[in-house]
Amino acid sequence: MANTVIGSSIVIDGEISGDEDLVIQGTVKGKISLKESLYVEGSGVVEADIETQNVEIAGRVTGNIVASDKVELKTDCRVVGDIKAPRILIADGASFKGNVDMDMKER
Amino acid sequence: MATAKELSASNNVDNTVVGPSILISGRLTGDEDLTVRGRVEGELTLSRTLIVEPSGVVKANVAVRNAIVSGVVVGNINATESVELTREGRMVGDIRAPRVIIVDGASFRGRVDMGDVEPGRLPAERPAVVRPTAVSRPSVTPARPTIPAARPTPPPPPSRPTPPPPPARPSAPAATTRPSAPITRPGLGGLGSKPLPPPPPTRVERAESQAEQAGAAEPPTPVLVGAGAKKKVVVKKKTR
Amino acid sequence: MATGETGIIGKGIVIKGNLTGGGDLVIEGRVEGQIALKNHLTIESTGKVQADIRAEELTINGEASGNIDASSRVAINASAKVAGDIKAPRVVIEDGAVFNGSIEMDVRLPDDI
Repeated sequence: MANTVIGSSIVIDGEISGDEDLVIQGTVKGKISLKESLYVEGSGVVEADIETQNVEIAGRVTGNIVASDKVELKTDCRVVGDIKAPRILIADGASFKGNVDMDMKER
Repeated sequence: MATAKELSASNNVDNTVVGPSILISGRLTGDEDLTVRGRVEGELTLSRTLIVEPSGVVKANVAVRNAIVSGVVVGNINATESVELTREGRMVGDIRAPRVIIVDGASFRGRVDMGDVEPGRLPAERPAVVRPTAVSRPSVTPARPTIPAARPTPPPPPSRPTPPPPPARPSAPAATTRPSAPITRPGLGGLGSKPLPPPPPTRVERAESQAEQAGAAEPPTPVLVGAGAKKKVVVKKKTR
Repeated sequence: MATGETGIIGKGIVIKGNLTGGGDLVIEGRVEGQIALKNHLTIESTGKVQADIRAEELTINGEASGNIDASSRVAINASAKVAGDIKAPRVVIEDGAVFNGSIEMDVRLPDDI
């Protein structure tokens, strides 16, 4: 269970880093680096480069994503940017524009 | 109006939490309560309540409605309603709020400005820009000078559509009208960066109820306040 | 002032000048000037003090303006109105009190701040 929730009315312009799960329902611009999982919920808007272990995106993300484990783009998400991760899931209904890099070395 | 007890129970909806390992640096704005168990640096503007838990560290200029500090705050807090330092709270910086509570056990260094003119009580001292002069204490850093000039005198309280009766609350007008002065680096801040509020509503209780209405009616416009806050300078020198 | 016992400056009394002493003191009247006490000073709700104050402990229920230097504790209670700079290891401000000025306590901050 995530400790950190960025609520829907919150706007952060800057950097977020940490060692725990992060749920974004609001807006984050800048940079996110986490050692755990990031969840961008339906209301979430992220304009940031993301570095994390796992990402699940149901909202909107603009920026490059590097995940050490997995990136999951859910239905109705909108993602623009390059994704680099050993596992990438794109659900039906997701919209995505960018490059995907699943370089085996990352595993 | 809220103190620690009253508040922590209510307002649980839309509560944003910054977990203990999280560091946010930059500018954070929002219209909901924020609980900090980790660390927030930079600038923090909320139209509701900031709760800094014992593990939390806020190194920022803060503009909120209420603040409850059980952790560490380094920076100035500007609250439209109240600031409470609990037993575990530690703060270095200036507080400006109509209601300030410091509980035994809390530690604090900085100025307190409740901006309250009791009828007949030192009214002469209060009018805006006056106070900064009191600031000529040695510990103060250069950042200060920008403020008095920048901070307009209260009379025309522009921005905040405060409910008619009371004079506008201090923070909003000032923030909006403040020209974009040079941004002072956090860390250099001065005590005196805190401007004097307009001769505020007289009694605390009334101020509160107004504040509540005002808050409900329209949250402080985050960006503007934020911009103001940034100039306002964060931290007092640690060494005094 | 008194030595050892508790002195009281009653409601009707106005003192202009310096007050020094070793005992506890309760002020219900008015004092203007300077106060230096070794022990506990209480300003009652009827008391009005315009003075720089030094004491071990200070409890304010009334009005005080001036700088305060207390070696142990300053309590600004709900009915108090205080203006001035305070230096003390412990300072308490109750809800409802009005205070304008600076407070200087020792603040132990984390190292990484």
